[in-house]
Amino acid sequence: MFRVELLQDTSTATPGWSYAPTRGFDPTQAMAPTLGRKRGIRDAGKGGDISSRQANAIARHIAELDRENQRDVAIPVPVRQAREVAARGNRSKTTSNVRRILQSQKTFRNHLDDEEAAIALGTGGGALAHSSNAAAVAARGAKARSSTPASVAGKKRPSAAVTSTSTATTTAASTPTPTTAEMGADEVPARKPKLIKSEFDQDPLLRSYAPPVPSERLMARLLSEPPLSYNASRAKAPSSARPARHFCCA
Amino acid sequence: MGTSKARAAPKASATPAKSTEFSRHLPGKTFVIDNGAYMIKAGYASDLSPEESVSTCTSIPNTLVKTRNNKIVIGSQLSTVTDWNEAMFRRPLEKGYVSNWEAEREIWDQSFFDEKTTARNKNTHVADPENTTLVLTEAPNALPILQRHSDEMVMEEWGFGGYVRCIGPTLNAWNEIHSLFGDPLTTSPDSTPLPADCLLVVDSGYSHTTVTPVYKGQALQRGVRRLDLGGKHLTNYLKEIVSMRQYNMVDESYIMNEVKEAVCYVSNDFSGDLERTWKAGRKHQASSEDGIVLDYVLPDPNANRKGFSRPHDPLMQVKKKKGALSGLSAEVLSEDVLVLGNERFAVPEILFTPSDIGMKSAGIPEIILQSLSALPTGLHSAFLANVMVVGGNALIPGFMNRLQTELRQIASAECVVRVRRANDPIHSTWLGACRFATNREELSRVAISRQEYQEHGSGWAGRRFAGLV
Repeated sequence: MFRVELLQDTSTATPGWSYAPTRGFDPTQAMAPTLGRKRGIRDAGKGGDISSRQANAIARHIAELDRENQRDVAIPVPVRQAREVAARGNRSKTTSNVRRILQSQKTFRNHLDDEEAAIALGTGGGALAHSSNAAAVAARGAKARSSTPASVAGKKRPSAAVTSTSTATTTAASTPTPTTAEMGADEVPARKPKLIKSEFDQDPLLRSYAPPVPSERLMARLLSEPPLSYNASRAKAPSSARPARHFCCA
Repeated sequence: MGTSKARAAPKASATPAKSTEFSRHLPGKTFVIDNGAYMIKAGYASDLSPEESVSTCTSIPNTLVKTRNNKIVIGSQLSTVTDWNEAMFRRPLEKGYVSNWEAEREIWDQSFFDEKTTARNKNTHVADPENTTLVLTEAPNALPILQRHSDEMVMEEWGFGGYVRCIGPTLNAWNEIHSLFGDPLTTSPDSTPLPADCLLVVDSGYSHTTVTPVYKGQALQRGVRRLDLGGKHLTNYLKEIVSMRQYNMVDESYIMNEVKEAVCYVSNDFSGDLERTWKAGRKHQASSEDGIVLDYVLPDPNANRKGFSRPHDPLMQVKKKKGALSGLSAEVLSEDVLVLGNERFAVPEILFTPSDIGMKSAGIPEIILQSLSALPTGLHSAFLANVMVVGGNALIPGFMNRLQTELRQIASAECVVRVRRANDPIHSTWLGACRFATNREELSRVAISRQEYQEHGSGWAGRRFAGLV
């Protein structure tokens, strides 16, 4: 009745198909067949307040806005005259790379799909694949930040002095509280309550808060990060739950 | 932003031997190409002032055009076209990235390398690429395969002697931004240029809008965000609305782009403006004519007339019906007019409210915050106080005001929010690249030479520009 088969590890499988692990019971999958077929297709997956039909219409509209021409037209590159080709004779011969690139008929969409597939296989070409990776780096960054204690931040390192010029102006401009005035040019007032002790130091109303300027090490780490993938850098949905506006004739 | 000095010194002392070694191979002449999807900005870098230097910069339309009479026109020849009706475009860039080098090579060849076609403009003629360093911009988050294609084309097809490929928005940090933000000058004007410390560059161009946090001239990659809306989408959206409501303009990209540039603005009171242009409110005829509704007279290539806008005349239709009796000239009677009311501000509005066209994406101000949310909180105030907007859409009236207002509303109250448009938002990236190129030490730190490329290949070049080697 049951057949037990030892599955191979992923990614090395035959091209064209692979085993996909199921992660437990998915209610939407289980429910889908019991609903009417059409409604199931229309409403499945997309979630939220619009049906997949609306979502498709919107996607098509946005794709339409992205076009150069309304109709598909082929505009060939003019063929060069033979003598003009000869004129560029001093240029070295066309290499195989160049020939391959020039003959490539791939569109951006094709390249993007290749890229996404490569990332999914874990061999993304140097791009930071997705947020989990980014989160790991963030965690490391956070660790690095916490491992540079207050003494380091307190010492006037050049980078801290540099970046704090702007933070200093902002705090001075927005919260001209007595605390900042007392501390003068000190860059981390919140961290050095010992300087002039007073009973108000812990008063939440009077304390000025300036987040610590990241250490040079952290900045170097952030700068050396690889770029996000094309899709990961796309802007996210707005945080406010305000429903979209609708216009009667647009 | 304060001083920008802390940086170069340690690096220079750490690798003096290396940098001199590189500069030995790098040709002295530097050619800068800001390869925009709509316009290529190109010219030789020089240490002139920005005003003088911009006059040496040439803008070349980055497109092949097929006109109504099936003539194919390329790049700078577009200025010879007089009839733009039904012109069709082929652009080598998609989504801001060069995806079709066949077309791009033709445009570059005609613009920079062909002696015959560049004879008129010496500023863009690259006579001997072997003795020229190329600074080429690219949009952030490019696909590695497309980057590789660029590198291979530049080094193998044209064989530049030196080459840097860098992220366009980051180059803006090399511009002199202290005066832009009203900060005191900290350096003497003739010292070696250095990038600003913290600059948040909003680049709203033809194919997309990107937000790039730039720290000391380098992008903080995790904070780069992109909105897939740009000038092209605005034009197409306007085209669509007008075609639905008035004339069929779906094949008139060029003309609608001109209409957009002439009439569109970003509203700072959207619902108020909408109310004022409401047609059903005919009773308030007088108040609805307070300047929002415009007539755009479409160009007439046969009579050699260009398009222009003028205040709306509600009685024009009636007069035209009367024909010659109304005493209007034949010229006026033959003209085609688009009446533009809420189209004027509803179109650029999608940059701030993409949900108006159903796009599940935040508008530009919130994208700025999304970008910052990926960065340490200690940097937020520095970036919010130095927001610089470049790209053609920055020229839409009201854009800057709206961005400043909305960003102020949603940003943390403790932070100062300063949003400035670059003095020349179109050429700002190119100018920044020129300033960058005059800092030979920084340039040779990132550039590669022809010998190095031939030795190590394009894979190495890609890793090097990514900062991995």
